[in-house]
Parts: sequence; C-alpha cells; structure tokens
Amino acid sequence: MRGPSPHLTRRTLLGGGLALGATACAGHRAAAVRTSGPVSLSLWTHDEGYETFFRTGIPGADRRTDFRYRLDVTRAGAADLVTKLLAQAVAGRGIPDLMGFEINGFPRMLRGDIAERLLRDLTGDIAAVPGLAADLLPARTAPYRQDGHLYALDSDTPLVVHYYRHDLFTRYRLPVDIATWEEFAEVGALAHRRHGIALNAVVTGSDVNQVVQSFQMLLNQRGGALFDVEQRLTLDSPEAVEVLEFLCRGLRDGFVIDISDYYGGAMQAALKRGTVAGLAMASWYKVYGLMANVPEQSGRWRIRPLPRFSRGGHATSTAGGTGFGVLRGTANERAAVDFLRATWLTHEGQVRRFRRTGYLPTRRSVFEDPSLLRTEDAYLGGQRPFDVYTTLLADVPPVHMSPDQSILHDVLSGHLLRAYRGDASPREALREATEDFRDQAGR
Amino acid sequence: MATPYLFIAPFYLLYVLFMLAPIGVALWLSLCEWVGLGTPHWVGLRNYHHLLTDGSFQRALGNTGVYVLVSVAVIVPAALLIAQALNVRGLRARDLWRTAYFVPMVVSPIVVALVFGLIFDRHFGLANAVLRALFGTGGVDWLGDPTMARVSICLVMVWRWTGYLTIFFLAGLQNVPRELYESASLDGAGRLRTFRAVTLPALRPVTAFVLVTSFIGAAQIFDEPYLLTGGGPSEATLSVAQFVYRAAFERQQFGYAAAAGVVLFAVVFTVSQLFNRLLGIGRPV
Repeated sequence: MRGPSPHLTRRTLLGGGLALGATACAGHRAAAVRTSGPVSLSLWTHDEGYETFFRTGIPGADRRTDFRYRLDVTRAGAADLVTKLLAQAVAGRGIPDLMGFEINGFPRMLRGDIAERLLRDLTGDIAAVPGLAADLLPARTAPYRQDGHLYALDSDTPLVVHYYRHDLFTRYRLPVDIATWEEFAEVGALAHRRHGIALNAVVTGSDVNQVVQSFQMLLNQRGGALFDVEQRLTLDSPEAVEVLEFLCRGLRDGFVIDISDYYGGAMQAALKRGTVAGLAMASWYKVYGLMANVPEQSGRWRIRPLPRFSRGGHATSTAGGTGFGVLRGTANERAAVDFLRATWLTHEGQVRRFRRTGYLPTRRSVFEDPSLLRTEDAYLGGQRPFDVYTTLLADVPPVHMSPDQSILHDVLSGHLLRAYRGDASPREALREATEDFRDQAGR
Repeated sequence: MATPYLFIAPFYLLYVLFMLAPIGVALWLSLCEWVGLGTPHWVGLRNYHHLLTDGSFQRALGNTGVYVLVSVAVIVPAALLIAQALNVRGLRARDLWRTAYFVPMVVSPIVVALVFGLIFDRHFGLANAVLRALFGTGGVDWLGDPTMARVSICLVMVWRWTGYLTIFFLAGLQNVPRELYESASLDGAGRLRTFRAVTLPALRPVTAFVLVTSFIGAAQIFDEPYLLTGGGPSEATLSVAQFVYRAAFERQQFGYAAAAGVVLFAVVFTVSQLFNRLLGIGRPV
C-alpha cells in the first residue's frame, strides 16, 4: 500500500485550495461572449411542450444562425424556476441562457431592479429584424415590459373565447349568436331554470390566480384593468364594478357556476354531467382543460367570440401566457437571442408552435397563414378556429403587470369571493380590495 | 492539548455553519429590505413595526393560534384515548387498527390535499353528498366560507396527526408496569380512576414530549392550509409559516419575511420553554 505522496504538503494543499477559490470567484465574472460555432444552451422551462418545440427547432436554428445548437434543459415548477433563478443569481453561477416565465411568475422579476439586472432588453433585437416590431402583437409584449424595456417574448396570444356545447345548445334550442352579455344573462338564466345548466364558470377555490383570472378576463374585455402601463392599480373603476355585478348576478341566477378550479375533479365532474355547457376561457383551454378532462366529448364543443358588453370594451381579452427571456452577461447571450429569433419568432416557428402546443401566434401576419386558416379542429366538430381568432385580433386589450401583482391577487381573490357569496356588494368588495392592496403593497 | 477540540470541532463547525449562521443572517436580514438580489438596504426595525400593524400578519397569528389550540386540546387527547383503546388486552386485529391510524401520516400531503379537495367540494364533494343523503341538506361551502375553511383545515389536521401521535402514547402505555394496574385493581379502582391515577402519571414524560412537539408542529403548520385552501378565502386559513413563504417567494420581500420568521421563532421558543418548565421535561418523574 502506498503512503501519502511526499509532494502533498500542507503548503501545496493550501495553495490548491486558494486556486480552487480563485477559480470559483472567476466563475462569477462574465465570460467572453460566443459569436459562432457549437454552443450548448441552458434552457429552463416548466412545460415539456416548450422543450419539444425548441428541440425540434434546432436544425432550423442551425441553418439560420452562425451557431450549432445543443440544448441542456431543466424542467421544474413555474414558480420554483424563478426562485431557483434568483438563488443562482445570488450565487453568481448556474443561471440559464434562456428561460420561460409563466405569466404569473414574471411579476417577481419586476420587483426592484431584478429584471434589469438579470434579463436582456430584447427591444433592440426585435428592432433589428425588419418589420418584426410592427408585426408582434402589442397585447402580448405589454406584460413583459418595464420602463420601456422588453424582457420576454410570449409563447401565445391566448385569446378568450366562449366555449359552448353545441349538442346541448341545439337540444335546448339556445341561440349561439348572442351579441351582448346582457342578452347572455337572460338566455343563461332561462337555460339554468329549465335545464339546470350553466353557460359560464368562475373559480372560487384555493388558487388565487385562477380566482382573479375568472374576473380579469371579463374585466379586460370590458375595458378595465388591474394595473395601468405605469404599474398603478386601476381596480376601483366603474368597469370593474359592472363586471363583478354581472358575475354575481350570474351566480344568483345560475347561469354562472362556481367551481373550485378550471382543471380538477370538480370541473371534470361538471363537464361530464353537462352542468357546464359553456364557459369563457382562453384558446389553450381546449387542449389543457377540455381535451384533458373530457376527451369523450370530442366533436360536441365549439367556440365563438365572447358576447360584448353593451357599454363598451373590447372584442376579447387574454389569459395566461409564458414569456421566454434571455439572461444577461452569459457567454451564450448572443447565441440565445439568435436561437429565440430563429425558432420562436419566425413565421414557420410560430406555425409549428401552434401545431405542437396549441398556442396561438404572437405575430399578426402569422394568423393569415393559409395552412392555419384551413385548419379544421376535430374536437370542435370540424370548426375552423382561426375563423374566430382572426375576427378578434384587431381588438385585443393589453395586460400590464406590476411587481405587486401577487399582493393584489391575494387580497382581490378574497373580496371577489365575498361578493360572490353576497357578503359584500361588488362596489364594497372592490373598494376594500383596493384599500387592502394599498395597505399591503406599501410594506 | 488541542486534540479533544479537534475531535469535536466538526460538529461545532457544522453547527455554526448550518444552524447559528442562518439564524444570524435571518436576524440581520429582518432589519433590511431585500428583493432577493443586489444589496440589502438597512431599515432598522421598520419591518417589525410594519408587522405590528399588518392585518394579514395578525390574521395569520390568529389562525395559527387556532391550529395550535386544536393540536394541543383536541389532537393530543384524542391520540391518548385512541392509544388507550388500542392497548386494551384481547383487541382483535390490533396491528390492522394501528396501521389504519398511522396511514394518514405517511400519505403524501399533495395526495391528502387532492382527496380532501374532492371530499369538500361544494357541488360535487363527498361530504355534502353524505349530508344530503342523511339530512337532505348539503350546501356547505367547506373551503369557500371563511369559518368552514378553518374547520376543514382542522379536520384534516385531526385526521392526519392523531394516528401519528397515537404511536408515541402506545409506546408509553406498553412501558407502564402491569403491577401498577393490578394494584389499582386490588384497591378497587374503576377504569376512570385507574386512568387518572396510574396511566396519566406514568405517561407524563411521553405526554410532555408529545405536547411540545405538537405545539411546535402546529405553530409552524404549512402543508395543510397551503395545499387545501392556499391560505384563503380572505386569508381565513393563512398560517404564519405561509405568511413567511408568501412574503419571500411570491412577493420578493425577503426582509419582511425574515422579520415574520424571527417573530415566529421567538414565540415558538418562548412558549416551548414555558411548556418545558410547566411539564418538567428533563426532570426525573
């Protein structure tokens, strides 16, 4: 058996330790930026669909750029990824090159100067592609902007439409061309009285984001908003009161059903029984809500534009989304930007993304793609969904976010439930939510 | 001379590194404002001052108080009674009963939340279906009504923790000398008298341990309210641990979260010390 190496003295050990420490510290400094050649991009995402999309986009990206890509993917929960990113940023190493921010997690990046420190402003990269800035839908860049900088690019234009059970509407002789929410309320109340069905749903469970989403979809459509472009709260508005009054009326008259969440067992039971014969929801809900819960109802569902509020507002609104951002100061920063442009933002890439994930394009021109316009959806009984989407595209309201969004969701969800239960009037509930928000956001 | 210190050094080094240092950093952070990146800004006692006037924190403290009360006043006695019942001689399928009571503890909290979420659903839940079948009424909003949501959390706590604590009492009961019961029987003591005069005093060390650990566990409760109600509705089930998590990992208010954590630590530590003195933990019986 050999003894310890005669060269391994305490001094060499100490020297080795110091060298190791120095190497560790050096890792904190920005490495030289790669400009071409083979590159292994670190991608963090919460959704397997994005991973598949990006992987299949590699050959195209290799052709369009000076890089040869390889992806090193980390998948985790959406909120966990943001926490992990911040922890890695504090540690000064191990941050990804490209990361997907689920829309409800992104406001954490807006706190203080986190976004500015960590994320690349993509405004210049978009402007560098002729015509791209004008083609991107402003409604889908707005959530990821702060102080005029664009920090992420959305995966979807999640237009809110009204899903309805065509078979039940036909059987009960319900009109499908209802023009306004006011008419919808009358038809819905009658349908509930006669047939025990609901034509819309609001979430009243433990997920505060879903509780607020049910309300916010209609609020944005009505022309209201939770925050303005300056990240100021705009909740206490006549539009918000009108929307909340409408939902409360719906719950009282039965044409709106309260459900614990959009995806779980309760919703599945309601869908299977036919209790929920319609609901206002984002375009992706067909894949992730309906097809996941009631695949056997294929062919029975249809979509149509939301009814309008007669006092004003927009044709639709949006709900959900995931923005992909590029991390600043990494050796692969340029490669990540090029990869994003070559996959995420090309016409072909956006068509492919819709085919793979069901997420709608974020470029206006892609909605005119003949292959998309011709797409017939078997789950929607052969309907051409882009016939509906294209009619909405001209009137999509932007959604602005605030670093205090999580606080608002916490306080607003509680007050919405109070209003739904009749414990507070809609006006009181919104006023108190505003007061609670101001109290908590100031801390 | 230094050899003994070198031998014990690893423990103390790790203790300082992973126990004392984080506590010290948390204390320092509680006096700062920090979004999770960049340099924390010193704000002195401002976070503590804000906590004093924060309605959410007060609600979280109140809710946690309820959870502690249920844990100490309902779950611990229930565990003791169940252990007593399981310890009866001649009980059939004893192991099956013990396993049945212990199973809730080993079920993943996620599964617990999922199952109870379905049970407590207002429209399609089992609880309301049973109520409708038995009494013709079943519109209870178990998770949507603030009071009922708190009740639901407490029910899940009872279901989950009672069996676990039963194991401790059962172990204690099996160590009570049989002669004490025989003597009590010869003296003509009934079941209740035997329980009060023999079982309870003999179980005092176990009871003290169970009480203190139950208190600490309930004071730091997170899983049940987080998974079942998310702390809602209207923060009616929000616990202090959840408040800390929310401030740090949803709102990026790390200094504020640290201050709330320090308050929680101070309360738990003080009350645990009180329990220690009252119950004479560590002193000979």
